[in-house]
Amino acid sequence: MEKEKTYSRVLLTVGKWVLILFFAVYTIFPLIWLVITSLKTNAEYFANPFSLPAVPQWGNFANAFRQANLGQMIFNSVTVSFVGTVLNVTIASMAAYAISRFEFKGREIIFAAFSAGIMVPLNALMVPYFTIFNKIGLIDNLMSLRVLYAAIGLPISMFIIRGFMDSFPVEIEEAALLDGCGFYKRFFYFVLPLVKSGLITAATFQFITCWNEFVYANLLTSSPRLKTIQIGIRYFTNQFTTDYVSMYAAIVIAIIPSILIYTIFQKQVISGLTAGAVKG
Amino acid sequence: MKVSKKERLGIVIFLLPALILFAVFFIYPIMNVVYMSFFNWNGISDATFAGFKNYIRIFSDKVFLRSIKNNIVWALAASCIQVPMALLMALILSRKPKGWKLFRTIYFLPQVISGIALAMLWSAVYNSEFGMLNGLLKLVGLGNYTRNWLGDPKTALICVLIYGLFYIGYYMVIMMAGITDIDETYYEASRVDGANAIQTAIYITVPLIRYSIVTCVTLAAVFGLRTFEQVYLLTNGGPANRTSLVVLYLYNQMKNNNYGGANASSAVLIVVGACVIVSIRKLFTKNED
Repeated sequence: MEKEKTYSRVLLTVGKWVLILFFAVYTIFPLIWLVITSLKTNAEYFANPFSLPAVPQWGNFANAFRQANLGQMIFNSVTVSFVGTVLNVTIASMAAYAISRFEFKGREIIFAAFSAGIMVPLNALMVPYFTIFNKIGLIDNLMSLRVLYAAIGLPISMFIIRGFMDSFPVEIEEAALLDGCGFYKRFFYFVLPLVKSGLITAATFQFITCWNEFVYANLLTSSPRLKTIQIGIRYFTNQFTTDYVSMYAAIVIAIIPSILIYTIFQKQVISGLTAGAVKG
Repeated sequence: MKVSKKERLGIVIFLLPALILFAVFFIYPIMNVVYMSFFNWNGISDATFAGFKNYIRIFSDKVFLRSIKNNIVWALAASCIQVPMALLMALILSRKPKGWKLFRTIYFLPQVISGIALAMLWSAVYNSEFGMLNGLLKLVGLGNYTRNWLGDPKTALICVLIYGLFYIGYYMVIMMAGITDIDETYYEASRVDGANAIQTAIYITVPLIRYSIVTCVTLAAVFGLRTFEQVYLLTNGGPANRTSLVVLYLYNQMKNNNYGGANASSAVLIVVGACVIVSIRKLFTKNED
């Protein structure tokens, strides 16, 4: 009996670690392979996909930059993501303040509508989004992406920020109210500093989403000088049909910023995700 | 907080930008898609009323039907394979084995990498000439099994679908948060009753995080319906439309200036998505009584 118990316990522990390591290797191995391959020569890569580079070919990265004009694309992605995030978090925190702090007719309906927005299959709205931006003359203009990204991220950002605001008692502000602080002053001097970590959470999440967005960047812009990095790496598949290693270098360049931001704000990404999803 | 007159103006001003963006980019587009799906439109000249013709046309198009079928397979695979795997790992990692934080970070990593970069990475894995998968097969002496994974109609769909299924971090994190919220007294009670780890997981943890599980199943199904990048980049629907999905279908309709057909397929997607969400919720609340 005792023997059986320890036997099954050993089996469980082994099974547990097999699973843990399987998923870890599955996730990490292709990424490591990508980085190693991006440092090989094409000849080395064709000869054996698993070999290590004899000499790390840092030139592949320079090649990728030069041939595909990656610098311009990174610049586009940075400005689009930055403006999209600032707009989004500003607008979402204003609305969340009104909904979280004041009782008025229809506030829960408004909030429920926004929350339902999380589930809308945005990819199905290609035609209307295209028509809207076509009508206001913003097709092939990065402004369309900035506004669109700010808008489509609103439901999740409002969810996150409202959650943080709700977790602070209204009494703190009531004291401020007695001191004669008005609606706007309370927002800027009391509520925003209190929910700072909520704002960072929403912003991190939003920035990564903007940085990675492909479908609408692809649909709404066409000029080469307006390409974002995600569109850029996709065009490598046409340009470098033989220069695989430079293509892999470009992919590495494209994913480094999101991984970097993720590692810095890891706590925020994970807590933001759960705040938005568990209640939704 | 009670609202004074002065504050009422502030509330309106603060809500307005969000409401305008929401109206323009959520409410109007959805209504517009449904309305315009009853019109013939090439994007340039005036739209003409078409009744149900767009719907009849797409539903008699084999490619559209296959796309729907593929989307259903995709949604089912995500909710019935990916989410249970994520649940299993959430149960394991929330017992805090050595290095659990590191593993959580690793599992979540694909979530922050763009879908297009991941798809390109996997196209390198599946590449028939220099691909990692064929290379691995040769390495372990299974050279007979090498093939053009994405070009073979037998394997194309499973290949574009399967690689994302093992990226479990997103759902795992949601369910782990649910597990953290469970009151410690439940576990103390089960310990007193002499339950082992597996019994505790099945009878205590899983029922208590059912909200998180339902959320994950819903999200997985919805994401399965709106998938686009993987297929667009890896196969563009080929070979012979074997891997087409509804969003890719509507994208191609749009590119061919058949906006009516595109809108009808969008409308189908939105309605199916809404039905899926509602029925998962219904199914779940019924179990609760």
